[in-house]
Amino acid sequence: MQIQDLPYPDPGVPDARSGPRFLWWLFRNQLDGQLKSLAWGLLHFLSVSALPFCVGVAVQAVVDRSGTRLALAGGLLALCCAGNAVGELFLHRTSITNWITAAARVQQVLARKTAHLGSALTQRVAAGEVVAVSTGDVEKIGWFVEAWSRFTAAAVTVVVVCVGLVVYQPALGVVVAVGLPVLAIAVLPLLPRATRRADFQREKAGRATELASDTVAGLRVLRGIGGEELFLDRYRSASQEVRHAAVRSARMWSLISAIQVLLPGLLLIAVVWYGVHLAREGRVTVGELVAVYSSIMILTYPLRHFEEIAMAYSFSRPSARRAARVLSLERVTDTDGSRDGSEVPSGDLYDPATGLLAPTGRFTAVVCGDPDAAGRLAERLGGHASEEGTPVLLGGVPLDELPLDSARTAVLVQDKDPVLLSGTLRELLDVPRSGAVGAEEALAAAQCEDVLAALLQGSLDAEDPMDARITERGRSLSGGQRQRLALARSLITDPDVLVLDEPTSAVDSHTEARIAEGVRNLRSGRTTVVFTSSPLLLDRADRVVLVHDGEVTAVGVHRELVHAEPRYRAVVTRETEEDPALNGARDKGTSLKDVLKELEEIEESA
Amino acid sequence: MIGVAPPAYDPAAPTTANTLPVGAPATVRAYVVELFRRHRRAFLLLVCVNTVAVVASMAGPWLLGGLVERVSDGVAERELHLELTVGLFVAALVVQAVFVRQVRLRGAMLGERMLADLREDFLVRSVGLPPGVLERAGTGDLLSRITTDIDRLANAMREAVPQLAIGVVWVILLLGGLVITAPPLAAAVLITVPLLVIGCRWYFKRAPAAYRSEAAGYAAVAAALAETVDAGRTVEAHRLGERRVELSEQRIKEWTAWERYTLWLRSVLFPFINVTHVMILASVLMIGGVFVLQGWIGVGQLTTGALIAQMLVDPVGLILRWYDELQVAQVSLARLVGVRDIEPEAGDAELAPEGRDVHADRVHFGYLEGVDVLRKVSLEVAPGTRLALVGPSGAGKSTLGRLLAGIYAPRDGRITLGGAELSRMTAERVRSHVALVNQEHHVFVGALRDNLLLARTDATDAELWAALGAVDADVWARALDDGLDTEVGSGGFSLTPAQAQQIALARLVLADPHTLVLDEATSLLDPRAARHLERSLARVLDGRTVVAIAHRLHTAHDADVIAVVENGRITELGSHDHLVRADGAYAALWRSWHG
Repeated sequence: MQIQDLPYPDPGVPDARSGPRFLWWLFRNQLDGQLKSLAWGLLHFLSVSALPFCVGVAVQAVVDRSGTRLALAGGLLALCCAGNAVGELFLHRTSITNWITAAARVQQVLARKTAHLGSALTQRVAAGEVVAVSTGDVEKIGWFVEAWSRFTAAAVTVVVVCVGLVVYQPALGVVVAVGLPVLAIAVLPLLPRATRRADFQREKAGRATELASDTVAGLRVLRGIGGEELFLDRYRSASQEVRHAAVRSARMWSLISAIQVLLPGLLLIAVVWYGVHLAREGRVTVGELVAVYSSIMILTYPLRHFEEIAMAYSFSRPSARRAARVLSLERVTDTDGSRDGSEVPSGDLYDPATGLLAPTGRFTAVVCGDPDAAGRLAERLGGHASEEGTPVLLGGVPLDELPLDSARTAVLVQDKDPVLLSGTLRELLDVPRSGAVGAEEALAAAQCEDVLAALLQGSLDAEDPMDARITERGRSLSGGQRQRLALARSLITDPDVLVLDEPTSAVDSHTEARIAEGVRNLRSGRTTVVFTSSPLLLDRADRVVLVHDGEVTAVGVHRELVHAEPRYRAVVTRETEEDPALNGARDKGTSLKDVLKELEEIEESA
Repeated sequence: MIGVAPPAYDPAAPTTANTLPVGAPATVRAYVVELFRRHRRAFLLLVCVNTVAVVASMAGPWLLGGLVERVSDGVAERELHLELTVGLFVAALVVQAVFVRQVRLRGAMLGERMLADLREDFLVRSVGLPPGVLERAGTGDLLSRITTDIDRLANAMREAVPQLAIGVVWVILLLGGLVITAPPLAAAVLITVPLLVIGCRWYFKRAPAAYRSEAAGYAAVAAALAETVDAGRTVEAHRLGERRVELSEQRIKEWTAWERYTLWLRSVLFPFINVTHVMILASVLMIGGVFVLQGWIGVGQLTTGALIAQMLVDPVGLILRWYDELQVAQVSLARLVGVRDIEPEAGDAELAPEGRDVHADRVHFGYLEGVDVLRKVSLEVAPGTRLALVGPSGAGKSTLGRLLAGIYAPRDGRITLGGAELSRMTAERVRSHVALVNQEHHVFVGALRDNLLLARTDATDAELWAALGAVDADVWARALDDGLDTEVGSGGFSLTPAQAQQIALARLVLADPHTLVLDEATSLLDPRAARHLERSLARVLDGRTVVAIAHRLHTAHDADVIAVVENGRITELGSHDHLVRADGAYAALWRSWHG
């Protein structure tokens, strides 16, 4: 796999039974790349390790006053130089390719898993885990998988060099062959402690960043009420804690650095001492002594890969475990359905559990005093809900028995907190749809003119509002503006049945009245169900249903119900029967109360 | 054709306008100079310990060179001074190990200190921003600066700056060592420099921007997935699953295109570096070898020189490794320092209101030059009255509310509180009299106590409890395990929206401003909680002047005065009954609402 061919046409089915199995699956799938990396790695490390030999030949040549042998050393050096340059270049290229292809593969299987889980993810703690895998774990997993062949090449090189030294200069070679393994493993026992301290430091840094971003997020509150110094002091102490943790961590790493200087140094001294004796006895030449010395200096480079692989392993193990856990999640319901989904049923929408009936082609409004119950009921109306229960029927067909995709095509449920996906307005409105409703119509019905103007103002270079960008979750827009765009997106889809849960709770009365009119006209002849308690919407509905304690308790039209049904009146006008004292007197206190009530009603929190 | 062109799509290109300024080069330079000055002692110390470590590291090659010289000359055992040499060697090694440790540690200490200074400075500046700037710019840009940019700078400060300082000193000392050993050998090293310079110039011209794009591309892959997770319900309801997978793969394609480009950049640079490294060694050995044969230098000098040349690999690698990090950091630094360019609002600390009446006199205001959102608005709000602002979205209600709260200054005309002009007072003075209550009832991460103390930092626990009691929040607050010390906010004890609102109200009780501007102040709650909260808010509003921006009509109904704002003007003004009788826009709306 080459980088330019990414993404994979088919990333495959991961072995997510456990973390190590997942790592092995990734490794197995790029065996080719791993072997290439191993081969280039060997060329690179061996060329580097041959340099000391050249040095030795050169020094001996000068000692022996031989110009030819010096030239020979020069030739050997040129050869090593070429092998080293080519080897390192291609080792780097294959390693990076292995890393990137592994990371891309993990991202791809994650994206597929996420799309498959859909709404099931939002109800689980797993949502945070998926994001954690994608943002942090992928790199670590890719690192360990990639580092493996590089480490193998380095390890083979160290062995080859030791054997070579023993053959080249047995007496000194044995000293080196005994000393090198000690160097390789000497710092390993310190690594867990060092990484623990590094983790602790990261944790502290995360906390400080959280405090800073939290302070900034609430900055308008701070500037409006006060307390800046309090929060600055808090941040300063968190920031200093990070600093202390970082210095503590650096103490450990600096100790490791010192050991990495000291141990090879001691080996060098041992070699020099013993070597000079041997040289005096004429058992080694000066050139050989210099070559062995230089080789120890050079070998510290492949030896560092022992530490790297140990660290890569300790970092990637929890990451791989988490990735495997996320990738093995499954949905609760059977998304294939037991019925043929090619023919989408039509007719009345009926919920046997509550007795709620939405006649085909009509505008039904549902009033429900408990917003949570309303949300659950709205979700059930679309079928394949997250909780089990009696399935809702569309034209007599249980929606749960249809394939998920067919059920979603037949009934679109816009929940209370629809998310605006980032991208241009054109991309936002480009959803699977019937084609009968145009973007302009839908935007007009949802009263979006001022939203378009706001989008244009905030964008960098767009001239057509359709090209203006919407930031993540529509954060640059107000709550009311977001609601209207989401409504336009649902209207443009034009499903047979459209269920809207509190679609205008953050919109002002003027605009809400116009939206009620617009939606009614646009949806004429289609089945529409709106969960609301706003008189402006209720007044436009063909049929108003009051659901209380999980059951339909009254059916009629708004004007009738508001006079005849005290419970209905209580929800719609927000009067509460239990509180007659407050209702009775229209004095200053009550007026206050109404101000408050109102304010509470409006805001769909941002 | 060999070579990879940079991808056409650049994920690091800005898509939304910078809402806050970016620092000019001069500001950035001045800041860097100040930072250096503040930490010059630590820098000096780092350079000193580094010098000792490097000099000690050269002892090995030097001593070995001496031995080689004497062995090859065949001097007598006694004159070899082997024990002395080995003793010196061990001593140098110990010194080197101790000082390498110090270098690493001092480098980290310096880096961490600079980083801490930088992030704390930035937050100090941020919390001093004028409320008007925050209101207009939003907190998004600021948030990305304090997270993304600080993060990028962390690497630069923690590693790049100290490591570069170490690397440069190291190279200079090694070259110095070569000069002392045998000046011709230093010259042999220098002839390889042009090769390295050519490669580096080519690379560093392209690398920083490319790495920025690569990082942005990688972040975009994760962001696309995070969004799919966050929008799980919406994605499923609109059957967008397949498209989200396609989008993720598109992002992967864009990211890997940049990875491929940066890989190409390194593919050009690496051979230059590699060849340079071996060339240094080769030229020292060959040129030095010829010199030895000619008898101009000794074998020992050659050995020392070759080993020192071999040591040059490390510092050169260090410099190349961190140099581009420094370039990337410059961009982030400019964004952080940019916040310093915003003029803090001076305000006249002497100016204080006498009385509580609010008066707007022919006020004009616009966010953009030449486009007025409010035109010739005049209003009078007597102490203790309740004014409701009604009107369609975008008519200017919220803007008028912010002007009355002193957050924006009018372009023309004046707004006074107790006879003193609001826009000329300091933000601290204004907020002791007027508070804007909006939908942002942010609960800060931290103890419940801190969440309340911010309104009055010297309040006692008894006063905090009294404030909680005043908004009926004391019952649940007392039930908390750690009382006022309970950690709340994200990651801590999770408060319900109603409780969060009560906290916001309790802060108002503590801050005790006499005038409140309410804009979408409360959220949709379940009716039982709402009723509970109404009482709390009623108590807070009691006796204060209230300007309520009414999105719903019953708010207006009971206000003393209703102002209908349409198209930036006040078109109707009066009590509910008065306006209904007048039969204008308000009356029409009221009828459609009430049926």
